[in-house]
Amino acid sequence: MNSQNNDMGLIVKTMARVTIPLIGIFGAYVVAHGHLTPGGGFQGGATVAGAGVLFLIAFGLSETKNRINKTLYSALEGIGGLVFLAMGMLGFGVVFFYNTLWREGPVFNGEPGSLLSAGYLPIMNLAVGLKVYTGLVSALFAIALFRRWKK
Amino acid sequence: MIFTGFFYGILGVILAGVITLVRVMLGPSIPDRVVGVDTLNTLIVAGMILLGAAYDRVIYIDIAIVYALLSYIGTLVVAKYLQGGLE
Repeated sequence: MNSQNNDMGLIVKTMARVTIPLIGIFGAYVVAHGHLTPGGGFQGGATVAGAGVLFLIAFGLSETKNRINKTLYSALEGIGGLVFLAMGMLGFGVVFFYNTLWREGPVFNGEPGSLLSAGYLPIMNLAVGLKVYTGLVSALFAIALFRRWKK
Repeated sequence: MIFTGFFYGILGVILAGVITLVRVMLGPSIPDRVVGVDTLNTLIVAGMILLGAAYDRVIYIDIAIVYALLSYIGTLVVAKYLQGGLE
């Protein structure tokens, strides 16, 4: 390990190049099928954040610093929360959190058990997954940068 | 339904897990415990897949895949800490 950019060895980096897309795709699968299979927004978001941890561990802090835009991650976390709230407000003519997409909406009203069903739930899962992923990655990156940001 | 061949496989995995847990508790050095936890992770993945087969639920395999991916990251984090950390 060289102390310049403090990444790990060649085997770990090559394995990370293979494993990070795998973890990301599987986390996206868990988020997208949150209304059909175990998991959902938080579990899938935490799984994708595991890919971020693997990137930070395998490629080191300086490489991660070039890739992570903290303004973008902060904005995406806020957007995730706002999309969740917007889905709750969608059926506000009846009551808060009225699932109007499922009852008379144009999309997400398929056969129960199919992917495009359950009304606002898939969109909420995507929003929560985005929020959890960006929040966990920025929190872990901030902890990794603790008292090292001058370098 | 659960008392099939898969159930006896799970019992074997539990036995191996108990033996591994003894190593994790008694390990004289920290790398011993890390290797013990890594072995325990792999055994738990095997146990999860066998339980998914014993309960006849396909969706339980998803959790085993997530656990296999994330336990690898956990072992890697401990290894990086032991070799000098994010200096």
